[in-house]
Amino acid sequence: MNILRQLLRRLIPMFSIVVIATFLLSLLMRLLPGDPAAIMIPNGSIDQQIEIAKETGLDRGLFGYYWKWFSDVFTGDFGKYYLNGGYRDLGGVIADTLPVTLMLIIYAQIVALTIAIPLGLASAYKEGKRFDRITSTVMFTTVSFPSFALALIFSLIFAVNLGWVDPIGYVSPSENLGEHLKLMILPVMSLAFGLASGYTRLLRTDVIATLKDDYVTMAASKGISNRRVLWRHVFRPSSTTLLTSAALNMGGLIGGTIVIETIFVIPGIGYEIFYSIGARQVVAMQTLIALISIGYVFFNTMVDLLTQITDPRTRERRA
Amino acid sequence: MAGSGKAHMRPEGDVVLEVNDLVVEFKLGKNQIVKAVSGVSFDLIRGETLAVVGESGCGKSTLGKAILQLPKPTGGSVNFLSKELTTMGKKELRDMRPAMQMIFQDPVSSLDPRLPVSEVIAEPLRVWNRGNEVEISAKIDELLLAANLDPAVVRDRRSYEFSGGQCQRISIARSLALDPTMIICDEPVSALDVSVQAQILNLLQDMKDRYGLTLIFISHDLAVVKAVSTRVMVMYLGKVCEVAPPEELYQNTKHHYTKALVGSVPIPDPDRPISGNLIQGEPPSPLNPPSGCRFRTRCPQASDLCAQEEPQLREVSLGHFVACHHPVGE
Amino acid sequence: MPDNSLSSTETAEPVVKTKKPRKTIGFYLASAWISLVMFLALFGWVLPTPQWDEASYDNLGVAPFHPSHILGTTNDGYDMMASIVNGAKISIIVSLVAVLIGGGIGSFIGITAAYFRGKYDFAVTMIFNIMLSIPNLVLSLALLSVLAYSDENNPASMTRRVVVLIISLIIVIIPILGRIARGSALQWGSREFVLASKSMGSKNFFIIRKHILPNVAPAILAIGFLAVGSVIIVEGSLALLGIGIPGGASWGSMLANGRGNIEYSPHEVYLPALCIAFTVISFNWFGDYVRVKLDKRESKI
Repeated sequence: MNILRQLLRRLIPMFSIVVIATFLLSLLMRLLPGDPAAIMIPNGSIDQQIEIAKETGLDRGLFGYYWKWFSDVFTGDFGKYYLNGGYRDLGGVIADTLPVTLMLIIYAQIVALTIAIPLGLASAYKEGKRFDRITSTVMFTTVSFPSFALALIFSLIFAVNLGWVDPIGYVSPSENLGEHLKLMILPVMSLAFGLASGYTRLLRTDVIATLKDDYVTMAASKGISNRRVLWRHVFRPSSTTLLTSAALNMGGLIGGTIVIETIFVIPGIGYEIFYSIGARQVVAMQTLIALISIGYVFFNTMVDLLTQITDPRTRERRA
Repeated sequence: MAGSGKAHMRPEGDVVLEVNDLVVEFKLGKNQIVKAVSGVSFDLIRGETLAVVGESGCGKSTLGKAILQLPKPTGGSVNFLSKELTTMGKKELRDMRPAMQMIFQDPVSSLDPRLPVSEVIAEPLRVWNRGNEVEISAKIDELLLAANLDPAVVRDRRSYEFSGGQCQRISIARSLALDPTMIICDEPVSALDVSVQAQILNLLQDMKDRYGLTLIFISHDLAVVKAVSTRVMVMYLGKVCEVAPPEELYQNTKHHYTKALVGSVPIPDPDRPISGNLIQGEPPSPLNPPSGCRFRTRCPQASDLCAQEEPQLREVSLGHFVACHHPVGE
Repeated sequence: MPDNSLSSTETAEPVVKTKKPRKTIGFYLASAWISLVMFLALFGWVLPTPQWDEASYDNLGVAPFHPSHILGTTNDGYDMMASIVNGAKISIIVSLVAVLIGGGIGSFIGITAAYFRGKYDFAVTMIFNIMLSIPNLVLSLALLSVLAYSDENNPASMTRRVVVLIISLIIVIIPILGRIARGSALQWGSREFVLASKSMGSKNFFIIRKHILPNVAPAILAIGFLAVGSVIIVEGSLALLGIGIPGGASWGSMLANGRGNIEYSPHEVYLPALCIAFTVISFNWFGDYVRVKLDKRESKI
């Protein structure tokens, strides 16, 4: 089976899911109590509302509105925030905020993996010993600790009580790298904590299974040092599972950052969703939520496809 | 070689089941059709044990399930106790079910692990409202005893606490609960240890004698078949090759495929030379079976005729039918 | 005639005894915490606390262990203990109702899809995939911000918001548990005892009820416990974003209200945060316990 056919077999369902999901979001707009244009500018004149309805396609039927929305987004016109004093172009807003969110997610992944890899390996190596039991229990407890509860408790301890960092705020890395990193510590830790626990457990299970494989026993019986066996023969095969899982988490993390960005007032895409709800910018909210969903579906499909192309085992199994 | 035909059908006699031109096909994806069973006909006389033999994938299990209309076959007719099953409505068909039962290959998988043995056996009785709790309980004990299991020990245990052989005994007990006329045994012993196989075969034989059953015995193992059957039907890729009583089939094998099967039965004799007649390779795909005789691609005697014309079953000696253009020894 | 069954020649394998998974200390702690929360949710009204929504203006933002307010008060003078108890009620009701109804609907759809297959199954799988393609917080956010939309012209009552919240959470839960139920039912439905039951004339819904549902139930239960945890997290997140339950009526809502007062009365934040965290962790422990038990059983069968 060639790669192109694989690609098509994935992309067609992906595309249909995107179309149906975004259509349902458009349908939701129509379920709002009252005219969306009036909701967006409650103090605006009737003329302004008609103007907005025309611009967004809200004056058309459900399908007309969806088609307008879809073709606009597809051609790069993401719509606007309709504010009392004027408007802000949403495309510009996304260009400003998306990198911030991505940065936050990537930092969180790096921190989580840095914690998880040594812990997972050590825990698996000492399976059943006290170190493993304690790590496993702690990790199981923290994996389900809600990130927003963690965020609030962290800011209570480190910002309010100890005063080490500011509780809220954001500085871009080009402006002041040190300050940027300092402000990112709490949000990143809040996100990374649960992730790290999940990765540690995953790696531990995988490594324990690999350690029981015959080729590992063989390598050990050749007299290769434990450290080398663990690294070369055990971690390498297990790392694929870990990285796949980390990649699949990227999409889900976008959802998680909405709350974290709101708590720490970080100008990312999640904070924009919070803002659009507060400012009653329902059309902008629809676009932002749709973009996050599209990104999520797209990312998951790509990861799936990549693992299939790179891992001959899954390729054979599906063929 | 593997072909169709109805020369082996017996109009006289107390016929329990008559299958005519049965076809079972499955859709696989868009344009592909698996031809699992392609025009099989046979009949079954009361008290008979018909063995259906063939290698895995020849459609013998599908045939067994199609007779029970699970699912309904694609074409052909199944006449059971003088009633046509294929055209029956849901309700009528359901009323026929008690008379035809099935025993499955995987003894463990055929019992619900959540139910105690007593409930497993009570299920058909409850489905059909056969008696009150006391009567059902008595019937359970009777059936377990008949299957050589001690009710006091077995009743409250669950299937995963038993060995494969014991599970198969429970299955047999369950299949007898509704006093069936016919039981289809789908490879009932192939998942069991050889030592246990004989016990289960004996049990089946006992049950058959005691309850006056008619059996269809599906198997890939000719040695097992020889022990139980009164008539053997050899199948290859959804078609019938040869029909004969077991002794006749062994001593006077006519079909090249049967010959290969007989040759592959291990005989515990170290001095016996290894038969050089084993067939090569895998059977062709049922997605796209060969034209004419389906066995021709692996047959040592295949000729042009075999590719053009499908052989029909014909009688070569009394009660011995073969579907082959060039039978062994002719 | 009876061969004393278990002593016959076939009993090469010993009879497997059902061994229960070890109950860890975490399991006991989780049980204790859930029992406490349940007790507070059901019988919290017997406690001698002030009304949760009546402020005491003499005691604004007092710390815990105050003689008349055991857990202190909020900056606006609301009794924390009363709020926690009331929050337990709302949070538990919302999440349990959502998971029970959503899980029920999802399991029914998933199991029937797996059992009947065909176009119905195709449609169900497609719809589940679409719903799962939106992160669950984002999905409930979209549903809630529209269906429970509220402003001066369109005020949404508290009941309406709670009902809409529960409906949104149900919609989020349906595909999560539905997919688990479908996967598990596909596995069990291909077992021969289902075919055996069909062959003896059982009707489809009898088979589903008697053979499929009991076998699928543990898997649904395990994920169901995890789902209760995620629903509590989603509820809290929505409240923090200002579109969940308002006015400090749930734990999440208490967090949202208390967040601004973190410097003056930190217990307004850490008490509900810890309540949410402990409850989520406890439900996860339960789910894990069921899963381990299930794995052990599966490996036997």
